[in-house]
Amino acid sequence: VAKTSLTSPPWPEVKLPDPAEEAKYHAEVVQKVNGLISAGRYGRLFAVVHFASKQWKITSEDLIMMDNVLEAECGDRIRMEKVLLVGADDFTLIGRPLLGKELVRVEATVIEKTESWPKVNMRFWRRHNYQRKKIIANPQTVLRINTIEIYPCLS
Amino acid sequence: RYVRQLQRLQLLFSPTAADARGARQFVEEAAQDFARQHPDVVLYVSPRSGPGPAPVLRAEYLNGTVRDELIASKTSEEIVQLATKLANQSGLDIIRIRKPFHTDYPSVQGQWHPLTNKPSILTVQGPRLQPQ
Repeated sequence: VAKTSLTSPPWPEVKLPDPAEEAKYHAEVVQKVNGLISAGRYGRLFAVVHFASKQWKITSEDLIMMDNVLEAECGDRIRMEKVLLVGADDFTLIGRPLLGKELVRVEATVIEKTESWPKVNMRFWRRHNYQRKKIIANPQTVLRINTIEIYPCLS
Repeated sequence: RYVRQLQRLQLLFSPTAADARGARQFVEEAAQDFARQHPDVVLYVSPRSGPGPAPVLRAEYLNGTVRDELIASKTSEEIVQLATKLANQSGLDIIRIRKPFHTDYPSVQGQWHPLTNKPSILTVQGPRLQPQ
C-alpha cells in the first residue's frame, strides 16, 4: 500500500520501554524516595488539598478563608483528608486522584469566624415601581495550616 | 497555640431605660454562662444611671480596634449570639479582601519562568546567535 500523508500520525512515534525493566526502575525510585523521606531530608512541603469545594495549594503557616461555616469552634485542630498532591524540593507525590491517609497528614486550626463585608443585593425593574434592597453578610471562617507531614510508606 | 483576639467586652446600659430590657435580662441570666464559656475574654458590666445614650456592647481587640454594637430592643438570646460572634472575630476591618489566601512562601520548587523545562541550549546559546 502506498504511503500517503495520513498513513502515520503526525506526532513522533513513542516506543514504550520493557515492562520488567520499568518495574525494576519504579521500585528503585520508590526506594530512593522512601529513604529520603525517612531520613528527613526535605525542606518545605507544599500540598494541594480539596476543601470546601475548592482546591488550595498550601504550605505550613499560611492562611485560608472560606465562605461557609465549619462546625468547629475557634481554636480547634482540624485534620484535612482529600490530599491530591504533595511536593518538596526534590520529589513530588502525585495521587490518583487522592493520596492515602497513612502517607500525608495536614493539620489546620480554626482562627476566626467572622462575617464578610456587607454586600448590597438590589433588584430593580424600570417603569414598574419595583425595587428591593437587601444587605448580605456571609459568614466566613479563617484557617491557618499548622503542619504538613509525610510518612515513608510508599509501595 | 490559639490566642483569642477579643480583649474585653464592655456592656454599657442604663438600668432604667426601656430599650435596655434585653441587656438587663442578659446580665441577669446569661452573662455568667457566657463568661464561663469564654474564659479568656473579660466582661465588664457598667450600668450608667439616668437617661443617656443607647445601650451599647463595646468590643476591644488585641490590635486596638474598638467595635460598638447597639443592643437596644434586642432579646437576650440575640445579645448572646452577637457576643459570641464578636468573640470569634478578630480586630481586622471588615472590608473587601482581595485574596482568600495568604502565604509567606509562595513557591517551594522555584517559581516558574518561561525557561524552566526547556533544554539548556537555549540559555547557553541564545535564540539568534547563528549568522543568517
